[in-house]
Amino acid sequence: MVDPASGPFLFDTSAESWLARTEQSEFLNWMRAYVSLHPIHVSAVTVLERIRGYSLLWRRSQGERREMIELARVAYLAALGVVWPLDGAVAVVAGEIMALLPDPPTAPKRSHHLAESRQDRLARWRFDGMIAATALVARMPLIHNNAADFEPVRSAIERSPARFPRLGPLELMRCASLA
Amino acid sequence: MIHIDDWFDAIVVCMGPVRSLIKVKKQRTTLTLPSDSLNKAKNIARARGVNLSTAISEALAEGLRLHAATERSEEVLALYRKAFSGFTDDEMSLLDGIVLEPATRR
Repeated sequence: MVDPASGPFLFDTSAESWLARTEQSEFLNWMRAYVSLHPIHVSAVTVLERIRGYSLLWRRSQGERREMIELARVAYLAALGVVWPLDGAVAVVAGEIMALLPDPPTAPKRSHHLAESRQDRLARWRFDGMIAATALVARMPLIHNNAADFEPVRSAIERSPARFPRLGPLELMRCASLA
Repeated sequence: MIHIDDWFDAIVVCMGPVRSLIKVKKQRTTLTLPSDSLNKAKNIARARGVNLSTAISEALAEGLRLHAATERSEEVLALYRKAFSGFTDDEMSLLDGIVLEPATRR
């Protein structure tokens, strides 16, 4: 159980949507309490990933479906709280993370007849490094639903503290442990 | 029941954890308050060494702040629900930054 009052927290892309879609009352209540106390902080990279997703879906759809996707995109943008920029400090830390961990820790995702390309997996891995760097620079715990990617980042930072002076450790909170 | 005969025009400024009221403009008003609440407010005012108006103003400001926060909270949650509802699992993957495409297209 994480006290919402102990925020604010940075929400990873995976956490933001997981918490928005959950139907479990304890997590809904946690989100309600959190949002009444703090804005939802996200990285600009999360906004990039999300808007790219809406745009790709829109391009693959037609007619009323397109309208529904556009309404969802507008709702997402209206709900946005604090968006942390990918600035010089974040770029420096993200570069260190990418050098420490150049390759994704897991294979590309697959789903039925769909698959993620190696290039897209690498891009997503680098985006995760940028989000972790944002959490370090913002000095906020990172709420995530993607332990496979973020735990290796946390461990690598702990093993190389000299490359992250006055930063860290990367504090991670899994969605499932919030409520 | 609180009956407000008139409303006051004040600007409430929250400064850090200690919220103070900076009253740009004050207005006299008549309130009908439950005796129990009024007695509690008097006790708080006495304990803090402030007058009753200050104690009630601060309580009202805190109540209004909480009300606004709750409204914003519900608004944000409703927007998030709208932003992510009506999508399949594969579509949600795309919205989460995982670009899944038919294997034949690659």
